Amino acid sequence: MKVLLSTTVNGEQVQEAVLPRTSLADFLREDLGLTGTHLGCEMGACGACLVLMDGVPVHACLVLAVQAEGSTIETIEGLNETGAAADLQAHFHDRNALQCGFCTNGMLMSAQALLEANPVPTRDEIRDALSGNYCRCTGYEAIVDAIDTTARDRAARTEAAK
Amino acid sequence: MKLEGEQLLSADPQTVWAALFDRDVLAEAIPGCESLEQLSETEFTAVVKLKIGPVSARFKGAVTLSDIVPGQSCTLSGKGSGGVAGFAKGAAQVTLAPEADGTRLCYDADIAVGGKLASLGNRLIGATAQKLTDAFFTNFSDALAQPEEAGPT
Amino acid sequence: MTLHIGQSQRRENARRHLAGRGRFVSDLALPRMLHAVFVRSPMAKGRLVEIDTSEAEQSPGVVRILTAAELNARCKPWVGTLDHFAGMQSPPMSILAEEEVLWTGQPVAMIIAKSRAEAEDAADLVMVDIEDSEPVTDGAAALQDGAPLANSGARDNLCYEALLETPAVNEAFADAAHVVEASFTFGRHTAVTLEPRAVIADFDPSSGALTVHHGTQTPYQFQDVYARHFGLPEGKVRVIAPDVGGSFGMKLHVYNEEMGAVAASMILERPVRYVADRLESFLSDIHARDHIVKGRMALDAEGKILAMDVDDLAPVGAVSAYPRTSAAEGNQVIRLMGAPYNMPDYRGRLQVAFQNKVQTSQYRAVGHPIACAVTEALVERAAEVTGLDPFEIRARNLIADDAYPHVSATGYQFEKLSHQASLAKLREMMDPDALRADQARLREQGIYRGFGIASFVEITNPGAAFYGVGGARISAQDGAVVRMTPSGDIHCAISVTEQGQGTETIIAQVVADQLGVSPERVSVTTGDTATTPSGGATWACRGAGIGGETALRAGRKLRERILTLAGALLQADPATLRLEDGAVVDVATGEARITLEEIGRVATYRPDTLPDGVDHSLTVAHHFAPSGYPFDFTNGIQGSLVEVDVETGIVRILKHWVVEDCGRIINPLLVDEQIRGGVVQGLGPAFFEECQYDADGQLTNGSLADYLVPMACEMPDIEIAHIETPTEDTILGAKGVGEAGTAAAGAAAMNAVNDALRPFGARLTQTPMTPLRILDALDAARKQRTDP
Repeated sequence: MKVLLSTTVNGEQVQEAVLPRTSLADFLREDLGLTGTHLGCEMGACGACLVLMDGVPVHACLVLAVQAEGSTIETIEGLNETGAAADLQAHFHDRNALQCGFCTNGMLMSAQALLEANPVPTRDEIRDALSGNYCRCTGYEAIVDAIDTTARDRAARTEAAK
Repeated sequence: MKLEGEQLLSADPQTVWAALFDRDVLAEAIPGCESLEQLSETEFTAVVKLKIGPVSARFKGAVTLSDIVPGQSCTLSGKGSGGVAGFAKGAAQVTLAPEADGTRLCYDADIAVGGKLASLGNRLIGATAQKLTDAFFTNFSDALAQPEEAGPT
Repeated sequence: MTLHIGQSQRRENARRHLAGRGRFVSDLALPRMLHAVFVRSPMAKGRLVEIDTSEAEQSPGVVRILTAAELNARCKPWVGTLDHFAGMQSPPMSILAEEEVLWTGQPVAMIIAKSRAEAEDAADLVMVDIEDSEPVTDGAAALQDGAPLANSGARDNLCYEALLETPAVNEAFADAAHVVEASFTFGRHTAVTLEPRAVIADFDPSSGALTVHHGTQTPYQFQDVYARHFGLPEGKVRVIAPDVGGSFGMKLHVYNEEMGAVAASMILERPVRYVADRLESFLSDIHARDHIVKGRMALDAEGKILAMDVDDLAPVGAVSAYPRTSAAEGNQVIRLMGAPYNMPDYRGRLQVAFQNKVQTSQYRAVGHPIACAVTEALVERAAEVTGLDPFEIRARNLIADDAYPHVSATGYQFEKLSHQASLAKLREMMDPDALRADQARLREQGIYRGFGIASFVEITNPGAAFYGVGGARISAQDGAVVRMTPSGDIHCAISVTEQGQGTETIIAQVVADQLGVSPERVSVTTGDTATTPSGGATWACRGAGIGGETALRAGRKLRERILTLAGALLQADPATLRLEDGAVVDVATGEARITLEEIGRVATYRPDTLPDGVDHSLTVAHHFAPSGYPFDFTNGIQGSLVEVDVETGIVRILKHWVVEDCGRIINPLLVDEQIRGGVVQGLGPAFFEECQYDADGQLTNGSLADYLVPMACEMPDIEIAHIETPTEDTILGAKGVGEAGTAAAGAAAMNAVNDALRPFGARLTQTPMTPLRILDALDAARKQRTDP
């Protein structure tokens, strides 16, 4: 039996009837067509499905859609539109920090959350923060570089603004 | 996977022996048992619902008793299929020895699982099998105790 | 003008992924689409007695449950052998198991439902009765006399065997001053692409056309497979590979599930989608490696290699993979042994065995990591017995850079490699003297560091020698159609495909340089059999070397066409004109005479103004097949620095170095990232990755919680340098680079771990080098010392 779900996704009010067993990932991908959220393991190990739920990265494969009742969800599509991570995306592009692109959504989510919490992380801290994000293509170094560069750029801009 | 253990039961060997072959006692003792049919004196079929780690399934299985030395020992062999969840099979050598205030039941089992159970639940199977075995003997022990409690004292 | 070949052009198509706008098969939904789930054998071997689908058929959302009788009849069985592997056998394979199940996870029934969830619900209700029998799991046991058959369709459990031998190999060992030997075990592992295998088959009965949206690296190969195995005209089959979430060789094999989706779509006349979940990926994607190798190396008193003698046993599953076989890896293992070195004599023996596990087959760097690890571990032992430094023993034995062409003892022909220059470069980067000093100092504090190096060759740019000569319908050539649009932009449709390695970007760079435009003006289409010419696509490192050359020659053809047209318009000799910065330029004066846009306008809208007989078609096609050497080999060398905690067995990988020579570098940024990704794919199986099976043939780690992949926090920074030795077989001079990182990373790491453990006399010869195996090796060495 479907239940009514009210939530905010990428700034838009959403009201949909969902089956209680539907995962947030399936809801976003199939009901809302937000296919930028990917599924790689469906057990919270690979990080491809990370979305921001009330500002915190969560595995959309481990959260039920009904748990998002009253929450604010932001997916890669939303993050892209707000431009909040435009510099991070640009550094990923410049450093070629992605190949097949399947992990990229989750990498951006983890990186954005890391830089909120720790604006100038060390390389080891960046590597630690990505410990739940699997990438088969890049070997990670380019991703670490892109986040590192973004952090230093943001810090420099903050400093300049003072 | 090997499982060994023993259980002190507060009933004499003859009572324990009879209970091992008693459909009603077994149905109560087997964890998650939904149904148990006795086909012959030594053959049963069962439907059991189990959850091991991320996999839960209803197993349809057969249990056979063999190598019977009445009152002393037998081998319980079972094989259950849980559809796509996989299967479990195993054999347990059970021996009974009289003790001062009851019976010492020793078991020595070899269990194998397959399919999704093996691929996803492997880390949990050892612990789960031990838990299920403990549950079986606790239930079995309780079932043995009940008629005595109900009987005249 | 600026040339774009050699520049780090950024990937335009990466922007879509960064915006969440990737389009993978798993994202696609078609009208009336149905979802497939497979019921799989929970047993490794047995006789299929009964499949009871009665309860499942009543399950909500179920449209149809297909069993072997109906499904297999639609599809001609496939046989994974190649003619040039003499004596090879493999029983035919069909979509669903019929009487016998052969591995845990083999599909036995197919549920078609309105949603994946409903199909899974129904699959839970199917009761499969299998009378199980003792599976064949161990490769050596499989080949013993009287062993039960893994597959009752086979003569015996020997899938294939081969022997390579030079006449004087026995004398070489008899005369040797030193012989070193060891046995090695390389674990089974798998590709673990982040996007699992995905397919949507869409058969339209009104036109008889089959369209398959398929997350594959080889669309043209699948067009051919689907046409032949489903009895359809090739022209009615279209295969579209949109964005593909990683492939690494795993997504070019024929799988039961994809064939099942096509058959089901033809039966139900609706689109049928199958996307593997992670467990299904572990149970049905090809696995790789799984080799046990016994190796010996003979040396003279000066430490010069005289010969190697190796014996490779490779169990590959119950059938050989189709259409490339499961024997190719072993074949490459025995042919790549000792490849970087002057080695006059050699014996290599290969036995490929059937067993009841999922099939192994080609995965990134096929055979290379095995041959490299065995060779380099033996060279390391040779260094010990001869008292030579690891760099010195290699300097004495690597083929000299001026000694080409060279034919290896296993018959490979090397056009020109740069082993000695690479070794010298690596020495400069690693500074081994400083590393030795650090090592000695840290050992006194109880910290055990070690470094190891490993030379390698990589096979790239294959022509027909790999598969075509064996009768496989696998394209040995690639094709491109390049055209100029009416606005003077350039479009290239090409058969090589993109999985994120940057194929489309380098093709744009190559074409841009031929036509004097910026790569931004060149759009590239790949991955669709209806819109691109036929070709090999992505396998065995051909994108840059073969695809790039195809694009180059097609681009030059279009250049000639444009210049001829411009000559007619300008009343000038085309030989006096060239293309530059989007215009036709006078060679003598450098003056721009007419823009491409203007040529496009005239050719498209006012061809009537052209002189009679001038060809105004601005579309050209070119197909290119490699000629000259059968393969273009590349070479390189890697170094690894590790720290082993001898109490816990945990290894920290501190640093990794690579020197690589892939010929002409089209895009340095993309080449380096191919190498880095490859190195990590080599380090994964060296330390973590292993498909673990129990004695009953059950895979016991089928999830990303139990199967360990390399993650960011465990991987080192990787320093890369290049030597550039272009191949003279092509104008472009590019060779492949995709396997290079994976080829030698594990070998360098194993030598590094053993260097760290040297004070204890402990030695690892098995991968993955898990903490437990390291502690076991330390224990064994301790026992050896106390109880010799």
